[in-house]
Amino acid sequence: MEPTIGLNGSPSIECTSLSPSAPIWQDVLAQAITGELIAAMNYASLSEICDDPEEVADALEHAAGERGHAARFAAEGRRIGIDVPNNVGAKHWKQLRLAFLRCIQDRDFIGCLIVQEIMLESFAVASYKRVGRVAPGSLGQTFASIAAEEEGHVDHAMAILRTERSLDPRRFDDKVHRLHLDVMTTLAKMLAKECKDGHCEVCHGSCVKPSLPDVSLSAAELRGASLQQYLKTLDALGLPGEVTLAWVTQLPV
Amino acid sequence: MGDSVASVTSSANVAGPARTIEVDFALVGHQESWRTAADVIARLRGPEHAPLPDDEIPDILPWIPPRPVCHVDVGSPIGAKARGLYIDSFIPPDRLEAVYTHDNLARVRAAAACAIKAGAKIVSLGGFSSILIEGNLDLLKMDLLKTEQLPEKHATVFTTGNTLTVAFIVQAIRKMCALQGRNIRKSTLLIVGATGDVGSGCARCLAPVVKRVLLSARNLERLRKLAAELEASGVQVEIAKDLQRFSAEADLVICAASLPSPSLLLGRVAPHALICDAGYPKNLSPSAEMPGATVFFGGLGQITGGLQFAPDFRGVLNRHPFPDVVHGCLLEGMALALERRFEPFSRGRGSITPDRVEEIETVAARHGIHLAPLYNADGPVEDAPHCRTECSRA
Repeated sequence: MEPTIGLNGSPSIECTSLSPSAPIWQDVLAQAITGELIAAMNYASLSEICDDPEEVADALEHAAGERGHAARFAAEGRRIGIDVPNNVGAKHWKQLRLAFLRCIQDRDFIGCLIVQEIMLESFAVASYKRVGRVAPGSLGQTFASIAAEEEGHVDHAMAILRTERSLDPRRFDDKVHRLHLDVMTTLAKMLAKECKDGHCEVCHGSCVKPSLPDVSLSAAELRGASLQQYLKTLDALGLPGEVTLAWVTQLPV
Repeated sequence: MGDSVASVTSSANVAGPARTIEVDFALVGHQESWRTAADVIARLRGPEHAPLPDDEIPDILPWIPPRPVCHVDVGSPIGAKARGLYIDSFIPPDRLEAVYTHDNLARVRAAAACAIKAGAKIVSLGGFSSILIEGNLDLLKMDLLKTEQLPEKHATVFTTGNTLTVAFIVQAIRKMCALQGRNIRKSTLLIVGATGDVGSGCARCLAPVVKRVLLSARNLERLRKLAAELEASGVQVEIAKDLQRFSAEADLVICAASLPSPSLLLGRVAPHALICDAGYPKNLSPSAEMPGATVFFGGLGQITGGLQFAPDFRGVLNRHPFPDVVHGCLLEGMALALERRFEPFSRGRGSITPDRVEEIETVAARHGIHLAPLYNADGPVEDAPHCRTECSRA
């Protein structure tokens, strides 16, 4: 397990005297913060393979933005009396980071965008929107607001990816499929209704999924919304709907 | 699926310039049960992946945006060919009630948009989907159609396919009467769901050839209007919202709307009635409560000139005990595509006439699309002992 990345918070505290839902929000926030930190690391890595100084600056700006999101989530945790841990070395997140680093190793800028903007951000945007609808007060507002900001990223990347696909749709779609098998298989395991591969190494105690209905969420809903967002994003890119349907239905549950 | 995803690329959902396959027709549908939905997903997963557990299907299917599922190739004995797409709106089978109408209309609209993007020249709207162009007045009152219009500026035409459905129901009734040696002219015909597009079309076609017609539906005003239209042609008509209020027993029954239970027919149906289940989903089965009655499914046709799915969804999308059997509503779009008649043949509600039925029957027959062998939930009915006896007698 990699050490927790500090976000200017106080040491971990137990939530025994807090509202009954605080431990649930703690785990939801822990996943969100870990995801944002992974995104920040990914954009920082991306900046290293960009040739154009403007692209370098964009990537670094995105990295800073994602760290800012993580900090905002951490602040929301403190606001409800909890310190939220994170673990970018947790098994699934680590796999996702390694998949991105393989693209970096190949200096595959388009592959990086597909992994981060199409796959990971679909998951983030859809999940944050759902959480934003049910989380109380400023916690909900923060999730909703960050979801909207992440959608802005996706729009920017979509323009680049659509142009790339128009040059050679077959090659582009094959690349997306290869990355789908790598990245979305891991994401699907994270999104499964039950964690069948053991503890995710992010939740602070036992798995949070069975407790999600206590805050009007469910693992099935988060999975469904994420995969729907992913399919819609692929549709918008122009991939054939019948092909992406088969991809998604073949994912593990 | 092959190794290359582009190997099956169609124009569906393609935002860029890659339109590799011309699409003549699109069929918009949805699954009628969780079992059929599970089978569709199992086929999509392919043999190398285990089928999903049953409890996962209701958690996954409602999230799938409407999209093409497979390509459909259809041929005719005179050499015509047409290529199409099956587009599923992924309406959950347990969400067909009025409370979900808004969501379902949005799904059908999105499915229609897929067909337009794919460049389909004609689209058949099957099952619930036909509501989009039937012009349901209640929906207008609910202000739903205003917000759920079809995309503008496109060359795609839409048909409900209801005219060919009516044709096959009428053919099936006539065939069963012939098989059982019944004189249709002495029959009392009951139509449940009589004011719908299919029900009223059946009434117009069959009323002139039976002794008496009983019309049942929820809307009394529409019932009166239809009755007046038929009576003007000299037909003896009785109307009722409640089946038990009819003064006579029916020996021919068309259920153009799904019945929650066959027991609703009890008391108003003759012991040896012929009952055509033309609702969607079909849910009447030979019942212990009506042991002498013959129930058969109506509105189904069979393609004799070849039907192929890619990927292969035979027996999954068309689950019938006979090959190449398809709902009449979907067959109408295929027949018109084979005829190269890309026109909104069935549109609106209550405008199906015997002339139009004959016209689409002729088009379908020219391309080898005929009434499907008759069957019910227990299997074929044409080989049933009473049919064989009556046939040999005839």
